[in-house]
Amino acid sequence: MNSFTLSMALICCGGLAALVFWRQFLFMKTIAVGFISIGCVLGLIDALTKLLHPGPYAVSLKYLNQFSLSFQIDGLSAFFLVSIYTVSLLAAIYSFHYLNDDQKALRSAVSYLFFALLIASMALVVTAANLITFMLAWEIMSLSSFFLVIYDYESAENRKAGYLYFVFSHVGAMFILAAFGIFYGNTGSFMFTSGSTMPDSAKLAILILAFVGFGSKAGVFPFHVWLPHAHPAAPSHISAVMSGVMIKTGIYGIVRLYASLGLHTPLFGEIVLAAGMISGILGVVYALGQHDIKRLLAYHSVENIGIILIGIGIGMLGVSFGNPIMAVLGFAGGLLHVLNHSIFKSLLFMGAGVVIQKTGTRTIDVLGGVLKNMKITGITFLVGSLAISGLPPFNGFVSEFFIYLGGFKGAALDRTAFVMSIMAIVSLALIGGLALACFTKVFGVVFQGEPRHADAIAGDEKGPTMLLPMLVLAGLCFIIGVFPRLFIYLALKAIPISGLGYGHVPMEPFMTMTANITLAATVFFVILAGIFALRLVFYKDKTIGSAGTWGCGFTQPTAKMQYTGTSYAASILAFFRPAAPLQEDHPAISGRFPAKTHYHSHVDDIAERHMMRVVVSPVLWLFDRLRWIQHGDIHLYIGYILLAIVVLLFFI
Amino acid sequence: MIKSLLFWALAVFLAPFFSALILKVKAFFGGKKGPPLLINYYTLLKLFNKGSVYSTSTTFIFKLGPMVSLCSAVTALLFLPFAGHTPVFSFNGDLLFILYLLGLGRFFTIAAAMDTASPFEGMGAAREAYFPIICEATLFMILILFYVLTGELSLAAYFSGSQPFGLWQVAGSPMLFVVIALFIILLAENSRVPVDDPATHLELTMIHEVMVLDHSGPDFGFIELGSFCKLFFYASIVARLIVPFETGYLALNLCLFTAGLIVVYIAVGVMESVVARYRMDRVPKFLLTSFALAFFATVITLEFIK
Repeated sequence: MNSFTLSMALICCGGLAALVFWRQFLFMKTIAVGFISIGCVLGLIDALTKLLHPGPYAVSLKYLNQFSLSFQIDGLSAFFLVSIYTVSLLAAIYSFHYLNDDQKALRSAVSYLFFALLIASMALVVTAANLITFMLAWEIMSLSSFFLVIYDYESAENRKAGYLYFVFSHVGAMFILAAFGIFYGNTGSFMFTSGSTMPDSAKLAILILAFVGFGSKAGVFPFHVWLPHAHPAAPSHISAVMSGVMIKTGIYGIVRLYASLGLHTPLFGEIVLAAGMISGILGVVYALGQHDIKRLLAYHSVENIGIILIGIGIGMLGVSFGNPIMAVLGFAGGLLHVLNHSIFKSLLFMGAGVVIQKTGTRTIDVLGGVLKNMKITGITFLVGSLAISGLPPFNGFVSEFFIYLGGFKGAALDRTAFVMSIMAIVSLALIGGLALACFTKVFGVVFQGEPRHADAIAGDEKGPTMLLPMLVLAGLCFIIGVFPRLFIYLALKAIPISGLGYGHVPMEPFMTMTANITLAATVFFVILAGIFALRLVFYKDKTIGSAGTWGCGFTQPTAKMQYTGTSYAASILAFFRPAAPLQEDHPAISGRFPAKTHYHSHVDDIAERHMMRVVVSPVLWLFDRLRWIQHGDIHLYIGYILLAIVVLLFFI
Repeated sequence: MIKSLLFWALAVFLAPFFSALILKVKAFFGGKKGPPLLINYYTLLKLFNKGSVYSTSTTFIFKLGPMVSLCSAVTALLFLPFAGHTPVFSFNGDLLFILYLLGLGRFFTIAAAMDTASPFEGMGAAREAYFPIICEATLFMILILFYVLTGELSLAAYFSGSQPFGLWQVAGSPMLFVVIALFIILLAENSRVPVDDPATHLELTMIHEVMVLDHSGPDFGFIELGSFCKLFFYASIVARLIVPFETGYLALNLCLFTAGLIVVYIAVGVMESVVARYRMDRVPKFLLTSFALAFFATVITLEFIK
């Protein structure tokens, strides 16, 4: 436990030191990034050792002489710690050149403090061994990330995004608190490990309430509304951490509670699977309709959380239907996708951050040709795009491969499992195709072609600390994609098998699968190398000409004529119109000398639209009616509290 | 292994020949003599002997596109049993790898098209990204059926040796649905009529052809060879479903396989001659038909097994 505490202390020191030295901007950044990085490296090494040599590592201390704060690191915690520390480390390094405005020195210092708190609290969330500790760490995590989201608080839009995130994380926390209340009420204990003794109905209630609470943090449809607002508002390295790892703490919560309660009814597995399918498909459909690159990436987090839930749902169904191979495949695929998504999503957010910093715009449709001036950003973004589309030989494929195999195992089972499995498989196929469409759009429109607007011409990429983390992440995408052996091994170690009722997981069959992936990727590269050699032969001593793009006979092409991202996605969005209604604003052209016209389109998020109607308006109406209670007299407020306690005493 | 490798080389070598069959059939319907059966080899040789002209808008991705798309098609053929013979490589789940590998090829074809900054190529790319989404759903539906029938997830288990299922065997009648569904997928994935018209002259109505407008010389040759191989891949699967017999004699197997292939290629040619290309917004409906067929086939077969 020592190196864990040490890493935690170093990270927090980094945050505090930033606040002390804020007047020396460069020194402040160096010391903050340095401390946080060293802390993360230590934590990463510690987590990896604990994952490879499992064993309960526990520590407990008294808090306020009443509650014990206890922490425990098992396989699942260690696995999440690995992705938390990896992404946080790289995000911290990235921030060195990203936060380059010395006019905002104090603000940057404060942001380093909250960044350090966020990393520490995420690590505490996944190591908390009892409900009180968990809730405390959870609240610190929510609050610190809230302050990071409103970094650019001057803009009203960002403040609104922060407010939305604040409301969502606290309503979610209320749900989790309600679940924990039932937990404590039934067991009289705060420890996660004592959960298995409850009656099944209580367990189901806890799981469903907690699923709503954790789902609102993870961004499960329809509780994802805050995500596409908060991510564009936050600085890019914060988006990388929030989207890459913070939302995964929701997944951690679901898996942890599921394992500790030991309720193996198919119903909960079906709920998780269904939520996963809906989030996955709708997430990517909404992503296709976005014009803001960071909003688009935020919707992709919704999609990938969906894929993770599909994996975990298949795992849960495998447990319910007594098929251990399906269970292990589903959980291993889902957990590996947690790691994979944290890698490629933070890579994509960092890439988007560089593009935004150098071009000054987040709007996809004015960008273009960025790849020509920004080679490293472009290539790493391409790797991230291939990985997130689940294409071999990159890491996204590996986790989806395992989830697919689990799904196919389920398709051979009886009716319910069969129906759920075929739906899961077809959804995954749809998600894969849609993600490919979406990332060919982003990459094709932003990085390729010609700049669509004179203001959006990309300058040279500068700032080695921004490029290095992206290179590392792209390298990881590739390594996991070609040599998944070690990473599948880690994911298998992370499965909380005792909570599923299994003794141990045999590694042999899964290692064969990883060997097959390595073989297939190697074959691919050998053939590609062969074709490349052939190409060299064919082009030997040939004349290579250079000319403008063939405009099909048109002689005056301009960059404005290029296909935009909006048109690229239009026909796919039309197919999904019931789920993604398109709002268009386009005054008709009339007369011989038409006036200037414009086109504006916006894809409505049905969750957001219905949330307004079904939740927000009734709640506002109700509170409006209850306004008389709030009259501003403090004596009466104290009276309310006393009255509430007296009334509650009757029920205990 | 050596034999499998030889068969793989033969598949890559023969793919252009079979594609020429389609041209012959179309010429027959048009009352023309048509190009010689070796036309595609002449075209490829001509292209490989040329140089290239690159657009000033393009980057290295434009050159990578043809290589990756050819590579994905050729790699897919490595996993395909040729005339029921064991393929070079095979493992449980290789079909997932192949389908996603073809997706990788598609990604790079689209990326190469977007690289040119041409509005026409972008339009083609958008369609190329859209239609295969439905095709993939159908393919996975068919895969579920095959998996339930065999408990395996590899092409070798389905199409090599004494094949466990086919049009004339267990679950033959629902297999007819599968054959039709796969044929629709074949047409869509290989940009044939009625989804796309490889012979059209108006860029606005093209899908695949418009995306490769700017490619020239050996690069274009790679693209052509890649699309021949991809068509051969799908055609062999359909052929093995129509003619699923294992005779025990290699020569006879080869004859049957070739007969099956010729039937499929002629069917494509007939289709191109008698059907007009669909309007773009009708294509998804056409493709959804294949999904419905595959879905019904799966449900019906499961009833048979029970």
